[in-house]
Amino acid sequence: MPVRLQPELRHQLIQYGIGDWNACYHCGTCTAICPLSEEGFLFPRKKIRMMQMGLKDQLESSVEPWLCYYCGDCSKTCPRDANPGELMMSLRRYLTSKYDWTGLSKKFYTSEVWELAFILLFAALVVISFLVILPSMGFHFTKELTADKGVRINSFAPIHIVETFDWIMAAVVASLLISNILRMYYQIIWRKSTTKVSLWVHIREFWRLIFNFAVQPKFSKCDDKNYWVSHWFLMSGYTIMFIVIVVYLKWFQTENIYPIWHPQRLLGYYATAGLLFGLGVAIVGRLRKKDIKFQFSHVSDWLFVIMLTLTVLTGILIHIFRINGLPVATYICYIAHMSVLVPMILIEVPFSKWSHLAYRPFAVYFAQLKKYAVPK
Amino acid sequence: MEEPRIGVYICWCGTNIAKMVDVEAVASEVGNLPNVVLAKTYKYMCSDPGQDLIIKDIRGHHLNRVIVAACSPRIHELTFRNAVEKAGINPYLFEMANIREQDSWVHTDRSEATKKAIDLVIAAIHRVRFHEPLQKRSVNVDPATLVIGGGISGMVAALEIANAGKKVYLVEKTDHLGGHVARFDLTFPHLSSAKQMIRPIIQRVENHPNIEVFKQSVIRNVNGYIGNFDALVVNGHPEPIELKFGNIIAATGLKPFDPSKIAEYGYGKFPDVITSMEFEEMLSAGKVLTKYGKEPRNIAIIHCVGSRSKVYHEYCSRTCCMVALKFINQIRAGLPDCNIYEIYADMRAYGKGCEEFYAETTHRQIIFLMFDQQEKLPVIKQAERSDNCNMLIEMDEKLSGESIEVPVDMVVLMVNMEAHEDVKEVVHAIGVSLCGNQFFIEKHPKLDPVATTTGGVYIVGTCQGPKDIPDSVAQARAAAARILATIAQGSVAVEVTTAFVNEAFCCGCQTCIKVCPYTAISFNEVKKVSEVNEVLCKGCGTCGSACPSGAITSKHFTDHQILSEIEGIMSMSYKEI
Repeated sequence: MPVRLQPELRHQLIQYGIGDWNACYHCGTCTAICPLSEEGFLFPRKKIRMMQMGLKDQLESSVEPWLCYYCGDCSKTCPRDANPGELMMSLRRYLTSKYDWTGLSKKFYTSEVWELAFILLFAALVVISFLVILPSMGFHFTKELTADKGVRINSFAPIHIVETFDWIMAAVVASLLISNILRMYYQIIWRKSTTKVSLWVHIREFWRLIFNFAVQPKFSKCDDKNYWVSHWFLMSGYTIMFIVIVVYLKWFQTENIYPIWHPQRLLGYYATAGLLFGLGVAIVGRLRKKDIKFQFSHVSDWLFVIMLTLTVLTGILIHIFRINGLPVATYICYIAHMSVLVPMILIEVPFSKWSHLAYRPFAVYFAQLKKYAVPK
Repeated sequence: MEEPRIGVYICWCGTNIAKMVDVEAVASEVGNLPNVVLAKTYKYMCSDPGQDLIIKDIRGHHLNRVIVAACSPRIHELTFRNAVEKAGINPYLFEMANIREQDSWVHTDRSEATKKAIDLVIAAIHRVRFHEPLQKRSVNVDPATLVIGGGISGMVAALEIANAGKKVYLVEKTDHLGGHVARFDLTFPHLSSAKQMIRPIIQRVENHPNIEVFKQSVIRNVNGYIGNFDALVVNGHPEPIELKFGNIIAATGLKPFDPSKIAEYGYGKFPDVITSMEFEEMLSAGKVLTKYGKEPRNIAIIHCVGSRSKVYHEYCSRTCCMVALKFINQIRAGLPDCNIYEIYADMRAYGKGCEEFYAETTHRQIIFLMFDQQEKLPVIKQAERSDNCNMLIEMDEKLSGESIEVPVDMVVLMVNMEAHEDVKEVVHAIGVSLCGNQFFIEKHPKLDPVATTTGGVYIVGTCQGPKDIPDSVAQARAAAARILATIAQGSVAVEVTTAFVNEAFCCGCQTCIKVCPYTAISFNEVKKVSEVNEVLCKGCGTCGSACPSGAITSKHFTDHQILSEIEGIMSMSYKEI
């Protein structure tokens, strides 16, 4: 059956990034130069072709956009300045919105108003929780709480309540993300597919998912290894922070200030340094616009970087004020920290740029499954 | 006859000859042959120092025959003839041996190639001994010019000649001037108006005191030769008009290909499948509408209709890609929301400003779809009511590897430019040749692109092959310049190596009259012998070889000359056997 062209798709795609893929005349230089494009998974040219022609189903069942780590070599060598690297980036945004069944992702990617409103709403909810809901539950701001030289963080933010909230949020975000991954799996492996993959292959290749999540070996194949390094620090810093906050909060958020070599503090410092390093590279890169991968920043790119930076900075401030025994400043920073962190996690992880933490390793896994697919 | 004193010059042609032929060995081998006074080699004989060497030797050694063993005589025979003439020898006492195209370029064994070069030079030595001096002749040129075809090429050529104060007869088959350009709306790549360009030219041609325009007319019975032609103009009147003129410009143009031959496109079956010329007329009228009177929401433009195909025409029509891009720009300007599909086999954007035009046009939100001309043509089908469009184009899209279906409301077929079907009549009338694609053949594809093998007949514009307006105009002006040069001189040199009839031997069988391709021979009823018109004769030698009584001799190709050349070429090999 011939595939019907859907020229109107371009009106949708144009909202997810730079718009002009008309320039491409399919010389294939991008695919030839890409260190990650390989037999069976050729990109970016073929994906650009699908965008040009409006082959919606083929695009939505593509795994290739996630196999690109945007080194920018394709855009540098493109004879028509079609910017294949950024087109792949736009395609990832589009696919993220397609995997999401709530429709929120599309709203956030295509409307700044929606995104900002959502952030402000949840930031306000966090502030209200601290100022209204917690006191109403009996956690008042007593004199003792705000006395000089006595930061009592667990009395200000009762650890069992924060922990419960952490788990609830983790469950919400995880269920959204997992349902999106299932949709991604359906699109890539099942839908309109003439092949099938055995259960054994699913199990046998599962290690790749973990390995790619932890190390991003594909990213390291891009020409500029520095980005892989800075990304790895950022990612490992975040993962450590996430684990200690969600799983080991009781161990991490203590009234007692441990000596500097204590693992609690060392882990915290490593994670902070890793995050700052990775963010620094991204912010400087996006401001200087020297490297092709940072030349075009979508609103979602900046929002992610800004929110994560604010989260890290407020976290650092909490720490500084706490060890210096400044309770009021610590509590204010704690509220600020939470009012950035909560909307960031809620928006970014299931609906926006940060969802790539799941989609990328899963894509590598799915691509591997496709290699072992047999006809139905 | 004075004793021949022959100088032999062997050219290295840089390394072209010297790398495969031992030129020194050739020189020493032929240097001692009878009548050879000297044999020399030189790096480039055609260079000024090379020619000076010959001139000096002719004077110093009293040479009376010269042989240059070098490239093809087509390239430098004239150069060396002029050189020996400068030194005081009749140019026909010169002979050229081709040891490049016929030897060094086509052989790989150096010693064999050297032997062959020696054979070729010896043959030339044998031949040149029997060369006779021939005298140059010239004929007067009638200053009037006949231009056949009133399209842009013909009109520009006519104006160029008329502006120089010379008479032009412009014969046009239809009832209007302007040709195909007059039917165009805009031109590529600058999207300027074709009508604004062509109208003033038509007016100038029609009002020019030196141009006489014959519309709805054709040319019959062209007789004569360069400088002195005559012909009849037939235009429906009982009395044809007789014209006399010295030169002819053929600017008969092209014909758009008829796409109804291609079943896949359904031209004639679907009312909204139209040709590029019909679309041009829609654009001129300022309204792009389907047959139902609606604005199309999807337009497809199919390239290479009848071009670059083993079935129809193998050649490329050169301009259609750019015309299609022009259409896109016009459609986009008028119908900003229309989906435009450009269904092409290859995009060809040669010509000044054309690649830029292509690059710029690709940003107009066009969907370019590539098909494989050799594999499968797109197929146009009637759409169902539920498809929400007029037709569907099914095709294998090459760049995505997908088999696709394109919803369309209107299809424009970029039809090929092909030769007129009546081109053979023109050919017969003016005596030029056709290539395999029925276009007129130029004298030399690179060095003489507007002249033909018939003196005084020039070809300009698309009758010579598909081309755009600038190229057509350039050809027209080039031909005009050539003609004005001969008119300015007042006379032109004509071939001297012609045939002549020895009346004593002629039996009057008239075989020669039948075989002459230039109608140069006539029969003298009084003397009962054949006579050669030396102006018309090209010296092809056909009559000489056909004459049963040996009465016809071709000057410079006498039996004696040719037999001794053969004797020469056989002598060396014969010795070895």
